[in-house]
Amino acid sequence: LNPSDGSNFLMSSAMSVASREVESDSELLEKTERLMRDWINLYHSNTPPNKVFHIYVQSMNQHGILKTDDSITRFFRLSTELCVDNCYRILNGQHANNASVLEARTKCFQTLDAFAHLIVMLVKHSGSNTGSMSESTPKINLLNKVLGIIGGVAIHDQEIRNEEFQHLPYYRILIILLMELTLGPNNLGLPAMNNFQHQLGFGINPSQVDPLYESIQYQVLNAFCQTLKLLKPSKAPSFAFAWLDFIGHRIFMEKCLNGPNSTPSIISTKGWIFYAPLLIEIIKFLAPFLRNVELPHSIDLLYKGTLKVLLILLHDFPEFLCEYCYELCDAIPPNAIQMRNLVLSAFPRNMRLPDPFTPNLKIDSLPEIIQSPKGASNTLSALATVPFRKELDSYLRTRSPVTFLCELRGYLQNPNGSDGNRYNIPLINALVLFVGQSAIQAITPKHISMSSIAHSSHMDIFQNLAVDLDTEGRYLFLNAIANQLRYPNSHTHYFSCTLLYIFAESNTEAIQEQITRVLLERLIVNRPHPWGLLVTFIELIKNQSFKFWNHEFVRCAPEIEKLFESVARSCMQQQQK
Amino acid sequence: GVAPLGPVQLPKQCLYQLHMLEAACRHTIYPVDSQRLRPYLPPNPCPTPSYYPQQALQHSDSVEFFHRLSTETLFFIFYFMEGTKAQYLAAKALKKQSWRFHTKYMMWFQRHEEPKTITDEYEQGTYVYFDYEKWGQRKKEHFTFEYRYLEDRELN
Repeated sequence: LNPSDGSNFLMSSAMSVASREVESDSELLEKTERLMRDWINLYHSNTPPNKVFHIYVQSMNQHGILKTDDSITRFFRLSTELCVDNCYRILNGQHANNASVLEARTKCFQTLDAFAHLIVMLVKHSGSNTGSMSESTPKINLLNKVLGIIGGVAIHDQEIRNEEFQHLPYYRILIILLMELTLGPNNLGLPAMNNFQHQLGFGINPSQVDPLYESIQYQVLNAFCQTLKLLKPSKAPSFAFAWLDFIGHRIFMEKCLNGPNSTPSIISTKGWIFYAPLLIEIIKFLAPFLRNVELPHSIDLLYKGTLKVLLILLHDFPEFLCEYCYELCDAIPPNAIQMRNLVLSAFPRNMRLPDPFTPNLKIDSLPEIIQSPKGASNTLSALATVPFRKELDSYLRTRSPVTFLCELRGYLQNPNGSDGNRYNIPLINALVLFVGQSAIQAITPKHISMSSIAHSSHMDIFQNLAVDLDTEGRYLFLNAIANQLRYPNSHTHYFSCTLLYIFAESNTEAIQEQITRVLLERLIVNRPHPWGLLVTFIELIKNQSFKFWNHEFVRCAPEIEKLFESVARSCMQQQQK
Repeated sequence: GVAPLGPVQLPKQCLYQLHMLEAACRHTIYPVDSQRLRPYLPPNPCPTPSYYPQQALQHSDSVEFFHRLSTETLFFIFYFMEGTKAQYLAAKALKKQSWRFHTKYMMWFQRHEEPKTITDEYEQGTYVYFDYEKWGQRKKEHFTFEYRYLEDRELN
């Protein structure tokens, strides 16, 4: 057998089911055990693995492992389970052997890293390697297969072991695979470093990626994202901390959000579509607990970790948050104010925001104010399937029939929602955004002002919702508007005017109080605060025409009164500077 | 905290998730879990008094910082912190100081004087090198440095 044929054999045989050999599990287990032991020894010997790999593939062939798709699957399943069992033995024996955390973990890594590298080599050598694009298919197929098996074993393990589940084996294999497949084993260019092993990795020089992987980077990232979806916190809560650590890992974030071959000037947004659902997943998982303010230690820990990931995103990838803010706001519960502020405070890095405290700041003179923000298409698709879509469109066009306004409240309610859960929040968000967008189109962004937005079918809908909804519904409606108060753009401008207009024109103090509440509760939390939110609130308390200080709710309690005074003072002081 | 919409009854499945999450807290994540194995200097977190520096100096990951380190420190970093950015920066700093890596002996050499002979394949003369086994600098006379063992990749 020619050693280099071994790898070619791998996938071609995987495709042929004809020579399928039925083999008992115990027989295969024995073989797998022996092969894994051999590999781990080879890996830790002083020979570089790419030299011994071909010999190893030969011996895999001799054992018939690579013969059929089925035997490959069973081999990976069994070897994953062997590695996992090995880790449990080490971790559970840790206290008995008086070993430190570090010693026990290092011992686990010796097996896990070896296994991960075996996978890397098998993926790399499956199919042919002539440099054509089509040959990447068997590599990606094998990677997907292996990742699927690892995910499946993890899910099964959690069902069996429950509270005793350990994330370590799965997390370690996945993260090493990710590093190897996206960074490459980039050595220093110091060949045959026997004493130093073979893994001199830096991850600082993108050109060091193995050209074999370069063409398949997105498929590799996609494979990992699919695996993470399989292991999502709602399905594998025991794995949640490792899961969050993975999506917050600097290499994973960098590759997904900047693109694999990014340079400071060229950032690829192709990976955003993989990353966004993962972020939304963890927020959705936390949502019921956050909403109820039930924060036992574990939830608190996961929540803080999620905030950290959002902070990194805000600092390093703000454009990503800008584009996905709608989907994120749909998932963030209404009372998670700081989390939502983090998302809404993001603005494109090439933009300079004027200080909201600048006296006589003229919003309409900012050049950015006529541009519309990106994103939103997914959110609006929620409206495409609703039964009242036709009526909505025709009302926006013809401003009739008035009965539509009366029916609208019913459309926004959950059919069998109980107290506190009576409204379809994503639907309210989508409706507010859609109506606002069509209003901006109708008056053109240049002409947005307090007077131009009034007396239209769009404002009819907003004013009707403000009056017709109950406290809960109105709170969600006003929140949906406040979610649009971000960096200078046409939406921020339009919805800022809209909110102030509803305040000025409202017939009851309850609406005005609720508008104040929605704005204030987003401002009394720690920074960051979205720019449009500050601008709107300052306008409300400074502009005499709103008679803000004449309202009773401003003086309803001494601490509220003090709060307003301190907010006002801080605005005025800033003004004098 | 505030729950403006009031609490809702958590579904059974949420309670199960919470239970598993609480259990997972007992087997927490360690930073090493997602780092490549470091055989010589594994990170070993332990509580340090707050009046000691808790973080490395700013810009200590820059080439300029590494240029200020002693040669021995650079050798230590090179041999004991393999596979890290620090190793890369140390190699860069050593090269800047005219040390050359010999890929067969895995040691760094520096010309002690102008080589006696220079050909296309090798140079010969007296060299200073760093012996990582004895951990010190040694001198070697009449040494032939074959260029095929010279690590000359550009570290950009």
